[in-house]
Amino acid sequence: MFHRKLPGVAAGAALALLGSLVLGACGGSAGSSSTLTLGLITPATTFEAPDMNWGNESPYNQAVYDSLVQASPAGVIEPHLATAWSYNTARTVLTMTLRSGVTFTDGTPFNASVAVKNLEAFQKGTSNNASDLVNMASATAVSPTELVIRLKQPDPAFLTYLGEAAGSQESPKAWTSPTAATVPVGSGPYMLDAQATVVGSSYVFTANPSYWDKPEQHYSKIVMNVYTSATTVLDAIEGGQVNAANTFDDTTIPQIQDAGFTVYPLELNWAGLSLFDRNGTMSGPLGNVKVRQAINDAFDRAALLKDMSDGYGSVTTQIFPTNSPGYENSLNSYYSFDPAKAKQLLAQAGYPHGFTLDMPSITVAFGEAAYALIQAELANIGIKVNYTDYQGSTIFTAILAPKYPATYFTLEEDPIPWQLAEFILTKDATFNPFHSTNSTVAGYLSTIQTGSSAQAATAARALNQYVVQNAWFAPFFRPQSSFVADGHTAVLVQAGNAVPYLWNIEPKP
Amino acid sequence: MLTFTVRRLLYGVLLLFVIVTIAYLLLYAAAGDVGRTILGPTATQATVTLKDQQLGLNSPLITRYFSWLGHALTGNFGSSWFTNQPVTTAILTRLQVTLTLVFGAVIVSAALSAVLGVWAALRGGWVDRIIQVFSVLGFAVPGFLIAVFLVRIFALELHWFKPTGYVPITYYFGGWVRTVTLPIIALSIGLVAGVAQQVRSSVIDALRQDWVRTLRSRGVSERSVLFKHVLRNAGGPALSVLALSFVGLLGGAVIIEEVFGIPGLGQVAVLATSEGDVPLVMGLVVAIGVIVILVNLVIDLLQGFLNPKARIS
Repeated sequence: MFHRKLPGVAAGAALALLGSLVLGACGGSAGSSSTLTLGLITPATTFEAPDMNWGNESPYNQAVYDSLVQASPAGVIEPHLATAWSYNTARTVLTMTLRSGVTFTDGTPFNASVAVKNLEAFQKGTSNNASDLVNMASATAVSPTELVIRLKQPDPAFLTYLGEAAGSQESPKAWTSPTAATVPVGSGPYMLDAQATVVGSSYVFTANPSYWDKPEQHYSKIVMNVYTSATTVLDAIEGGQVNAANTFDDTTIPQIQDAGFTVYPLELNWAGLSLFDRNGTMSGPLGNVKVRQAINDAFDRAALLKDMSDGYGSVTTQIFPTNSPGYENSLNSYYSFDPAKAKQLLAQAGYPHGFTLDMPSITVAFGEAAYALIQAELANIGIKVNYTDYQGSTIFTAILAPKYPATYFTLEEDPIPWQLAEFILTKDATFNPFHSTNSTVAGYLSTIQTGSSAQAATAARALNQYVVQNAWFAPFFRPQSSFVADGHTAVLVQAGNAVPYLWNIEPKP
Repeated sequence: MLTFTVRRLLYGVLLLFVIVTIAYLLLYAAAGDVGRTILGPTATQATVTLKDQQLGLNSPLITRYFSWLGHALTGNFGSSWFTNQPVTTAILTRLQVTLTLVFGAVIVSAALSAVLGVWAALRGGWVDRIIQVFSVLGFAVPGFLIAVFLVRIFALELHWFKPTGYVPITYYFGGWVRTVTLPIIALSIGLVAGVAQQVRSSVIDALRQDWVRTLRSRGVSERSVLFKHVLRNAGGPALSVLALSFVGLLGGAVIIEEVFGIPGLGQVAVLATSEGDVPLVMGLVVAIGVIVILVNLVIDLLQGFLNPKARIS
């Protein structure tokens, strides 16, 4: 009775299809040659220079701010807003000559007084790099172009820090602006287009027309899109929506290469056990070097690399990175997988039947499998691991309290020995919760801190050997992280940073 | 009707108060070491302590709650801990994106469901069976799987649409269509399946009623019977399903926005929740709570409009 045809449906479908095809014909790529679209994995925490983070967030900073100095891709410090500098003999007074004629995008001139205020603000700020300026005692503007920084003690990494977030220069007018967190005012190569930006998702920058260093301004527009999963990054790459991107993990590398992108591998961290309680305060057995060595001999590192990092990365038994003066190639295989030897060492140390080791775990971050593998390999030599699982950042509070004698974690490996030492090796380092030290280590650290470059390098290698031989840690491997770029984009990767520096990403000729 | 509306709004305010109170307490109970969460493992303890002080986390929880509530009543929900953007701005910017997807899905679903449901009810036979099978499949296959399939075929293989991102309609209409079409289809399929079934059943039920026979016996045309009487009668239940699905679509948008990398409420909700960005999560709780309460109120009012028996005087 009501058997009526519905021609509208077919017509609608045809129209939709036609529309799609027409729109499809308008398809585009990531952008024109003067637009760079970057895929990043984290949004900018803030654009307030004193609180900005580095690492994955460095492109946001570098787009809008100039720093006092710059690091080359190999990490060599080069002039930028500071054109020259020198230390006194004790390396506690740094005198810098600043560039004149530089103005912020609001017209305010840059000078030494502005630099002093910016340095002081960063030191008091809440960037996760705020401790970079912990050794700064004072900063003084001697003249508009002369800046003097006094240090509490020599800091070999200080100039490097001035090339990162700590040295970023923000306009004085922004210091009192209520919108400084989302509307930055710097003197950098680009300006944030706040109208076109969706904070947390997509940041749009346009070229600063009055930028003083035009050769470093490669694009007229930069879009930084934030992707929250490996799948969306891959979709954007395969769909030609980005020119270059940071990646979440290595599982998608074959598909990224199939999409015509070049993979730039980086090794920025090491994964393994930190055997913090080297004096046996909390876990008696860990105070014995043979026990710590036995733990190092218990792990099949090649298998762990394959199982925990899909084979991307390289096995190692040292925490110094390949681009550090302290790096020793032979220390990548100082310990080998030898459970029999490990059991023998445990017996010699007085623990023939092993012992129980309490460690924290954060399975939401590293997965159940990683912890299960570690547990199984240690059980193989008689060490029973008891885990307490944490769901979030409270694991750091527990580790640093310290509540555990050892932990598995992936930790950064800085190319500058003093940087690495201040993070994990000095007596008061953040990740030395039991304040382990001795005269040998202190001696090496003193030379690294105050010696010449050659002396520091020699001391760093000796320190590395000491730490490996005395099994302060049980590193497994250096996991690979990857930055990728399409065929139109040239990239120079940056030593020690997850993302290449912005001026080292440019269109291919 | 006015009394009913006012009463429902007052209940809504009370409900919202209870929801935000519970959410606030639960979020802070699970927040852990906030300063450390924000700054990461490399920050020193001194910087972490300073961050906690800046965020006012040293004061008692109850003091913080009433302070937050007082500010919230003036429309100030604070700033995101992880992007420092004012929460109100973050939500309003993204709400329009999510509502575009949700309203788009509702409109597409309503149109398709009406056509398919009526067609199945009228034609019966193989048409009905095919639509029934489609409905079952639409229910069974998760939206995110459909989304991944759509991206793979129509964005990455055929290049008809964008695989990720969002272009505002005010910026470029063609770009907008290319970014919202696939997400709307992915959101709509499950809804079409459900609502089409509801329309089909309601139309079949209505067609069996005595008043339809009476209308026909009076010589009223079949077109008039269908469009003026049967569909209006059958529209109530379908509208209920559709309207209730609106709230469900907000939840569906969370996944769909993740798959398509769309800067909507869903994407920010996933990010804020996983990071523990309490101010932003609280803002989202309020925003979504208000939407749910208002949608339910509108459903009740629409039901009364369509069906006089459902009216509350």
